[in-house]
Amino acid sequence: MKPAHFEYFRAATIGEAVDKLGGDPEARLLAGGQSLIPAMNFRVARPSQLIDINGLEELKPLVARLPENILEVGALVRHQQIATSPLVQRYLPFMATVALSIGHWAIRSRGSVGGSLCHADPAAEWPAFMVAAGAEMVVAGPQKYRRIPADTFCSGFMETALGPGEMLVKIEIPLAQGGWGFWEVARRPGDFALAGAVCRRHHSRTTVTWFGADLSGPGTVTVESEGGAGHGTHFWEDAASRVLAVDDDYMLQILGYCADQACRQAQSDEGRDYDNR
Amino acid sequence: MAEEFASAPHFVGARIPRTEDSRLLRGEAQYLDDIQIPNLLEMAFVRSPYAAARILSVDSSAAWNIPGVRAVFTFADMPFVLPQNGPSPIDQPVLARERVRHAGEAVVAVVAESRYIAEDACEAVHVAYTPEEPVLDMQAAQKDRPRRVHDAAPNVFYHQEYETEGFQAAFDTAPHRLTMTFQTTRQTACSLETRGIIAAADPFSGRMTVYCGTQSPHRLRGDLAEMLQMEEHLLRVIVPEVGGAFGMKAATYPEYLAVVQAARLLRQPVKWTADRVESFLSDVHARDDIHDLEVAFDQRGQIIAVKDHLMADGGAYASYPFSGAIGETSLAAKVITGPYDIAHLSTVIDCTYSNKVPLGAYRGVWGPVASFVQEGMVDRIAQFLHLDAAEVRRTNLVQPNQLPYRNAAGMLYDSGSFTESFEHALAQLDYTRWRATQEQARRVGKYLGIGLSNFVEPTAMASSEAGSIGYESCSVRVEPSGTVTAWLGLGPSGQGHETTMAQVLADQLGVDLEHIVVLHGDTDAAPLGGGTGGSRSGPLGGGAAMQAGRKMRERLDVYAAHMLEAAVEDIAWEHGRAHVRGVYARHVSLRDIARIAYNDVRQIPSGLPIGLEVTERYQPPRPVSFSNGTHAAVVEVNPSTGQVTVLDYVVVNDCGTLINPLIVEGQIHGGVAQGVGAALLESLVYDDSGQLLTTTLMDYLLPSAPLVPRMRIEHLVTPSDGALGVKGMGEGSLIASPAAIAGAVNDALSPWGVSFERLPIAPRDIVTSLGRSSAAPV
Repeated sequence: MKPAHFEYFRAATIGEAVDKLGGDPEARLLAGGQSLIPAMNFRVARPSQLIDINGLEELKPLVARLPENILEVGALVRHQQIATSPLVQRYLPFMATVALSIGHWAIRSRGSVGGSLCHADPAAEWPAFMVAAGAEMVVAGPQKYRRIPADTFCSGFMETALGPGEMLVKIEIPLAQGGWGFWEVARRPGDFALAGAVCRRHHSRTTVTWFGADLSGPGTVTVESEGGAGHGTHFWEDAASRVLAVDDDYMLQILGYCADQACRQAQSDEGRDYDNR
Repeated sequence: MAEEFASAPHFVGARIPRTEDSRLLRGEAQYLDDIQIPNLLEMAFVRSPYAAARILSVDSSAAWNIPGVRAVFTFADMPFVLPQNGPSPIDQPVLARERVRHAGEAVVAVVAESRYIAEDACEAVHVAYTPEEPVLDMQAAQKDRPRRVHDAAPNVFYHQEYETEGFQAAFDTAPHRLTMTFQTTRQTACSLETRGIIAAADPFSGRMTVYCGTQSPHRLRGDLAEMLQMEEHLLRVIVPEVGGAFGMKAATYPEYLAVVQAARLLRQPVKWTADRVESFLSDVHARDDIHDLEVAFDQRGQIIAVKDHLMADGGAYASYPFSGAIGETSLAAKVITGPYDIAHLSTVIDCTYSNKVPLGAYRGVWGPVASFVQEGMVDRIAQFLHLDAAEVRRTNLVQPNQLPYRNAAGMLYDSGSFTESFEHALAQLDYTRWRATQEQARRVGKYLGIGLSNFVEPTAMASSEAGSIGYESCSVRVEPSGTVTAWLGLGPSGQGHETTMAQVLADQLGVDLEHIVVLHGDTDAAPLGGGTGGSRSGPLGGGAAMQAGRKMRERLDVYAAHMLEAAVEDIAWEHGRAHVRGVYARHVSLRDIARIAYNDVRQIPSGLPIGLEVTERYQPPRPVSFSNGTHAAVVEVNPSTGQVTVLDYVVVNDCGTLINPLIVEGQIHGGVAQGVGAALLESLVYDDSGQLLTTTLMDYLLPSAPLVPRMRIEHLVTPSDGALGVKGMGEGSLIASPAAIAGAVNDALSPWGVSFERLPIAPRDIVTSLGRSSAAPV
């Protein structure tokens, strides 16, 4: 279980990394390496070169830009940083809850938010969270930077809207009002989710974003009603079967269950007074 | 005896922290892959991508051309086999010979200057195959369908029938009969440290040193000598630290022969370490069994007769030297009645070849399967008669006045505490309170279940996966400085023998633990022993340590009596010093005695030899000694997701005298963890073409720490009549736990009338079986 031959390059600037990436379609960026390195060891991934971006400080900010009401998360911020950051606790504590459901401590300490988003595993938590949060991806390309909304960034099963030579630099997450809820079902704590749901509630608007092993990517449904969260598992199961390309009964059932649990959480969370400003 | 030790510390029975732990926990232990040898070459294997195929050609020219590649071997270069002298007539070749018979079978061995180069070279070897239809279903295989795995032999390689006299009449006239089919899934031990071996020839002496994490160092040496036609005294097997073995590392594997032979041919040290994928594809599998069962019983739930067709899928070859299929079925057939008094038994066994990885030993071997069957059967009877599950067990348990008890298969349960351990477990658990809680919980849509599992554990057997040596050996040497060195022929892999054997010796010699070092796993030093397996090290190894310690002590007593001018009977020992009983002022130290024994030999009491060395071999009085106990589990099942949470877990364990309760409890914790895996998680899955789909730890789900329940353990002590009263206990916890957890899940689902007879019970299976309703039918 040793990787095939590859070249290793440690980038000193974003520009350098993007240049290298643009010049070699077989090159891959090395962030936390939690998916790429195992894939290389299985020789499933055979990059010609690894462009190590772990030294790039520009990819590491974790700051609240309060005038704009935005939490800025650098692509290289590790999951565990999100889980323990006082800043996240203060402005977006729900994000820490999501971070803690990712893998195990060792995985969270190396794995990065940007790496997870670019890997775009449909069972991963961050893509669904970013879609639910209405986040924007800031991407560096060969010529210029551009912004991609989260819901178009994840474009399919392990596919993103990143073009050739483009890399994710940071994510901007709006600090919006409302209640949050999160639930996932996995075989063991820390495993990739079989199914999971992120729920946001604000006044009469409830949005559920699903993730899960059988999905092609995050799937969202929004319900406008005053009736509270009490739609129940079957309601969400039906919604999931309409929105997601899933026809497996068990998967639909647990997707519905996750949505229901997440909505109950979001409803009680909505009552709390967030110090978002 | 009591008086003799009245003032001395008693090490046997004490909660002594393990000597081994310091180096293990600091990361200072030396495992196989830590061993550095100059000019070490590495081996990697080209493994079959097909479950069944003919090999048309092997083209390795491109591999030879890669810089750093030193050799590419096929069967023609090393035409050796693991021979079968038992019921299975088919030898296993070191590298595939003309045919491949399971996905992952080693076809070509590449030796290179690094593992990286060796793996590059493996990719460059081109093997042409003609795929054949794989044999994957054990019931079809019994009828040689779709074909024979080996042309030369029928698929059924082991068939046995047994019936008690009067079985048919008893079965036919019983008031009730039930039919059920129990099935366990393929699992594997999945040791944290994978298998590996290093072979290094000494060019000066012509001897070959083999480092290997095996459970049976002497047997491996003998196997290598026999199979590779080498002189046994020119082979030395050293077992470094072993990161888990669980029976799986008791086998002699084809890769071991390939590495030793490569080191001979290349005259350079060679290493192979399995990666995790290779482990799944080549470590022996286990537990692939089906039991077609019929049980006859009366209105009270008293079981009258059991009829069982035991089947096991043995894989492509019978693992050497112990076929897991034969081990699992033949032993299960002997203990399928468990601790229950069942008069009549009829068993038929069929073990078959298939195009899967060979079945071998995994902790408990037959036990987790048989216990799951036996306890499942009792639960089904209780359900059928609408009786309480505990009550039906009471009705059937072997009573104290029946001991020693010979079961329907002819096995003698020498001693035990069957009814006592069961009642203690119910009390520990607070069974009636949990039943009330279960009732209340159901009313609010929560589904709890209670699982009960009574087990018997045959231990200290003459024959196991470790080999067929019915005794164990211990050499003890008091060094010239008065410290003690002991060697045993065991092959520990985390059991703490360095601690427990030292405890036994310390009590015999009257010295403190820190003055004893226990060594094992070097065939040049250790006396020939049977190794570790089948829960034999405590009772047999402990017996050997006791006997050797006692023999040495007798000699030391003569020295002390002579030097103190006292009678031998009046000598007492404490902290490495002998004194005349009651007169502490008159004493002599072990160091003083050792000085005379080695350096002042004219002072040696007449009749004693020079030096202080003894080797003793201990054979237990019985061929088998039974441990027993009860596990009780409470689980909650979420009917919406199928997730199972263990809420409470109680173990009452009786393994006779405890050498070290801390270590016994550690064994139990691990066995329950593995039981969670067996009941709920672990499954080796083959697809229709015979590809193993679960070859990583993301697919093969081991129980992780949060899933291991907190457990309460109570010890009962019914001593054996062997040395120290010790019984084996390495497997009982895994024998009992899958049945306890599965039983609890079934009990939780009883409002739906759902009962699983197949392991593992996965969330999807639970949800699917409940239909569309997550609330129980009223």
